[in-house]
Amino acid sequence: MNAIPKTSPARPRGTPPVVLLKGICKYFPGVVANQDVDLEVWAGEIHALLGENGAGKSTLMNILTGIYTQDAGEIIIDGYAQSFTSPVEAIAAGIGMVHQHFKLVKAFTVAENIHLGWSETPAKISPEKLESRTAELAASLNLAVKPAAQVEDLSTGEQQRVEILRVLARQARVLILDEPTAVLTPAEARELFRALREFVSRGNAVIFISHKLDEVLEISDRISVLRGGRKVTTEETRNCSQKMLAKLMVGHEIVLNDLRGRGAGAVPISADAVLRLDEVRALDDLGNVALNGVSLDIRAGEILGIAGVAGNGQKELSQVLTGMRPICSGNILVNGHDVGAANAGEFAGFGVGHIPEDRLHSGLAPALSVTDNAVIREYGRAPVSLGRWFRPRAAIALARSIAEAAAVSVPDFTMPVRNLSGGNQQRLVARREMRIADKLLVAAYPSRGLDVGAINTMMRYFVELRDAGVGVILISEELEELLNLSDRIAVMFHGEIMGIVETASTGIEQIGMLMGGQRAAAPRLEPASI
Amino acid sequence: MLALTAAGIVLAASGAAPLTLASQVIKSTFGSSFGLEDVGLLLTPLILTGLAVSIALKIGAWNIGAEGQFYAGAFAATGIGLFIPGPTVVILPLMFVGGALGGVIWILIPTLAKAYANVSELITTLLLNFVGVLLAYYVATGPWLDPGGHALGTTARVRHEVPEFWGTVHWGFPLAILLTVVVAGLLNFTRWGYEVRIAGSNPQAAKYAGMPFRRHLITVMLLSGAIAGIAGMLEIAGTVHRLQGGISNNFGYLGIMVAVLARGSALGVMAGAALMAVILNSGIILQTQGLNTSTVLAITGLILFFTAIGDELAHYRIVRSEPTA
Repeated sequence: MNAIPKTSPARPRGTPPVVLLKGICKYFPGVVANQDVDLEVWAGEIHALLGENGAGKSTLMNILTGIYTQDAGEIIIDGYAQSFTSPVEAIAAGIGMVHQHFKLVKAFTVAENIHLGWSETPAKISPEKLESRTAELAASLNLAVKPAAQVEDLSTGEQQRVEILRVLARQARVLILDEPTAVLTPAEARELFRALREFVSRGNAVIFISHKLDEVLEISDRISVLRGGRKVTTEETRNCSQKMLAKLMVGHEIVLNDLRGRGAGAVPISADAVLRLDEVRALDDLGNVALNGVSLDIRAGEILGIAGVAGNGQKELSQVLTGMRPICSGNILVNGHDVGAANAGEFAGFGVGHIPEDRLHSGLAPALSVTDNAVIREYGRAPVSLGRWFRPRAAIALARSIAEAAAVSVPDFTMPVRNLSGGNQQRLVARREMRIADKLLVAAYPSRGLDVGAINTMMRYFVELRDAGVGVILISEELEELLNLSDRIAVMFHGEIMGIVETASTGIEQIGMLMGGQRAAAPRLEPASI
Repeated sequence: MLALTAAGIVLAASGAAPLTLASQVIKSTFGSSFGLEDVGLLLTPLILTGLAVSIALKIGAWNIGAEGQFYAGAFAATGIGLFIPGPTVVILPLMFVGGALGGVIWILIPTLAKAYANVSELITTLLLNFVGVLLAYYVATGPWLDPGGHALGTTARVRHEVPEFWGTVHWGFPLAILLTVVVAGLLNFTRWGYEVRIAGSNPQAAKYAGMPFRRHLITVMLLSGAIAGIAGMLEIAGTVHRLQGGISNNFGYLGIMVAVLARGSALGVMAGAALMAVILNSGIILQTQGLNTSTVLAITGLILFFTAIGDELAHYRIVRSEPTA
């Protein structure tokens, strides 16, 4: 983990911190987003901002970059109090942010994106000049980009580099990164870390927002933990451990533990597959091959993890497994029977539950009531409907019992489901799907966007299902989560299964290699530095 | 209040005494059975076109073409009423079915284009309005022109009439209310209605639950067209009795307004239609007081404008956050 040497932050006497936040408060209707937050960021340090979802990290950074205005408190940059009313003013003061979702124009080239909306861009310039300017900038900042390439052709790692270059080109001295590694492969993340180290070694500062403990420990010099809108503490990274940070984040100690063991009374893994994919090929929305000859067996009572960098066919796989996407060739067998071209409703009828990766876009109708959303799987049968009739009262009763099982308190079942928090929505969806999943549950990125507490609940649900003899497919990008839960892990790369490994006998390095597209059979000689 | 003030300013600007006129409007609308009857007559088509737009919104489609479907329904009903001989008991139901079918045919192409080629229904339904309006003008001034020549630019009087049920208000009014209640019941108390609500709110969720989105889209849009067509038929058979250009009185477009005010609820459609009917009727009264038509239209527009804004704002709540110390 310590492949990158840390520079100790240099603090010449009498120099004020580059960024000093004092008593920042920000209130939204009904929510305290930030309360009395103090933060000091010194030149030459990478300062990690750690916290659960909703802890106020993003709000705080949005205040610092001028997107929001604080309700109380001061922003002091280089010793001078500042008040930003727009991101333009923040960038003029040397504070730039790279957001989680890139703000690049995909149809433009890298050079065009860098120069877009920049006061130093000459009014008239040829594409060649633009590209050579970009190349110079990139060279001076030590960030390798291809100036003439179109942004949409770049990998996410390269796109991120363009974003960073764009911010740095505007003379940013404080670079804020919001969850930068969420979209990167481990190798790309290492490269990013190297670039960040170099950036701070020139007397700049980085604020690194994350909720991944291991990488925070790896990259940062100091760590500030936010919880419930307040800053809990700031610590030197060398005095921190994962366990301690997790405890600070959630306010109590959580155990990152192995959940693979079965208790007494758990149903053992069956010999036959509940669901089998046999050489399945499927296309994505654009008509490209997304799944290329995928074969999988899922047995009752086991958790099969699907690892891989997002965008390698996992989404399409989850849709094929639940009947939402037609296949071009191959077979899908549920309990040994070929189901052919069944639709999603029929799959649900077979006992296949589905927690989709984008719950707001496909698992829920956000504008409709909690009740309408809760009964979406069981509206077609008694008691919610009798024949052709739909019974609103019975629907509310079912919704109430699902909400109870999910431990979600719903003040009003007629209110739109989008008014619930993300964690509550996900718990509701999970419980709804668990009710119908008596054969298989397909969970795509179930912990995405959730805080540690909600993730733990989610994991507990899966263990509960597994012990009841249901097969669970867990698609995730969190290796830790997969290693903790799954009995076997299948790794996807470019629409293919690179290998299926037994979790018990596999290391994280091996999975990392499969994720990078190397077959298990052909290990590459490389220092294992992941 | 803003609406009324703005209306008052416009009135004063056009040289009339706002307060006198206001009292006139209130007196003649609510103070007499004639006034209420007029409102009732306006209500029938407004409820139906409002319902037509509203139900299409349920499946996520904007039916801007209620106007055209209204004309198509009126056209079909007039054709049947004028040229098919028979007793009223037979012909009237035939006109009803014909009116509904006229509306269905008018929305058929936009529906299929949306369902199979994802062509925006906003444009297709809107464009067909002009075709519908011009068709009515054409037949009313050309082939079907009243041979008796009682009036310019209308067809002969259709003999078959919807009987009256209160004053000049015909049975179309309770029928419109009944239709609204039935549609509300379908949406809220049937599996079909539940699927339509889910599919309209989020087609992805419908796919996720295995609901036939395209089938529901087609059914609901055709139903929307049918309802607008029925509105046109009732206007012929209940109120005007002749097909003429401008018969729709913009009911199709006002239906959009009603649907927006109703915010997806059937009871809301009735309330929205009632509000609209009162405003329209006030406009008519103002005209009888000697104001010119443009002023009245401007006032009607202003009131609708402010109502819509006010309605939108009324759905926000002012929340003050108390800093917790």
